[in-house]
Amino acid sequence: MTLRELVESQRFCEGLAAGQCDGLAACATEKTFTPGDYLLRQHASADAFYLVLEGQVQIKLALPGQGIVTLETIGPDEAVGWSWFQPPYRCQFDARAVTPVRVLAFDAGMLRALMERDPAVGYAVLKTLVATLSERVQSCRLQVLDVYAPPGEPR
Amino acid sequence: MSAFAEPTLPAPYRIVARRQDTADVFTWTVEPLGEPAPTFLPGQFNMLYAYGIGEVPVSISSDPAGGPLLHTLRAVGSVTRPMAALQVGEVIGLRGPYGSAWPLAEAEGGDLVIVAGGLGLAPLRPAILGTLARRAQFGRLCVLYGTRGPAEVLFADQLAAWRARGDIEVRVTVDRATPDWTGEVGVVTRLIGRAGFDPARTTAFVCGPEIMMRFAGEALLQRGVPAARIHLSLERNMKCAVGYCGHCQLGPHFICRDGPVLAWSRLAGLLEVAEL
Repeated sequence: MTLRELVESQRFCEGLAAGQCDGLAACATEKTFTPGDYLLRQHASADAFYLVLEGQVQIKLALPGQGIVTLETIGPDEAVGWSWFQPPYRCQFDARAVTPVRVLAFDAGMLRALMERDPAVGYAVLKTLVATLSERVQSCRLQVLDVYAPPGEPR
Repeated sequence: MSAFAEPTLPAPYRIVARRQDTADVFTWTVEPLGEPAPTFLPGQFNMLYAYGIGEVPVSISSDPAGGPLLHTLRAVGSVTRPMAALQVGEVIGLRGPYGSAWPLAEAEGGDLVIVAGGLGLAPLRPAILGTLARRAQFGRLCVLYGTRGPAEVLFADQLAAWRARGDIEVRVTVDRATPDWTGEVGVVTRLIGRAGFDPARTTAFVCGPEIMMRFAGEALLQRGVPAARIHLSLERNMKCAVGYCGHCQLGPHFICRDGPVLAWSRLAGLLEVAEL
């Protein structure tokens, strides 16, 4: 599958014209990571948006005195990173490959410029991003609920 | 056995083995002192009675095809905590089996997705074993299990053995990872989108804390599994286990008699009810 076909097969390309998919493909490259590689580093410039094609990625955070905690794992067809969309464009968490990982990597600056220029593309990408955020927020709420805790234990 | 002759009279059973599964979960193997233990269907439960203390409903976690009769309990309440202190050789009361079963026959010919949370894996174990005994009758089989942390993973050896078979997709996730955990992290509902099954021809069995089942059911619906093919196992305030007392009533259902296994389509709106 060519890069162009790969991009076009993503959810956010549904309903977009061929030229718009071309624009998105122009922002994208295919990348691979080996286990242990970082896709994103906390505090680093958020210059990429990833869609996982294969493999598993951990979202991690360093907690003072407690080491590095894995908050969640991300798999195929899921997005990694949204700090690229919101100033100051700094990553809030680490994203680390657990297995060999293959992604579509979008250049954040190019993608933002394209979304500004073409609101239809911007809306399509945002729909994907909001769906991802919504799912993550719901998952976080369930995690916070600590549903498996023994009854009566403080949560 | 007492279930039909005198439905609320327990029969004596001896604890012949006890396995500590996690810090607060243990599994008893029990044997009847009198008549042979009755057969059961996957998903059914027994009422276990600690003499002089109290009685609780506990799902059967053993192989429905036969072998030792197993019950997996969590020491959390005023009955199950004292039960956890009982020793091998002591005698308990047991009556059952009661309730509805996982509809394995309905699932045949299609894919089967098992979604379990925490101790909810125990009532699903007989269904998984029953499915594996007739593996060719089913399409893809997915076991999606979520629990609090790595130390709370139930039946870890069994999960590993199932995964090693190669004909079953086993995914385990934890809400809170430890540094040495290399598996998936996040709530079990996230696994539903990742598992390989064809929603239109899938039957799903779900068991765990009620709030987890509610969100798992919604995730299955969102993926395209028909509501009538999503089955949950509920456990609310069961007392008599035979539909007499009404303690476990949820809307039009007595959970002990009409459940514990009920289709999502019969539970519309009822899972939002905090208590009746």
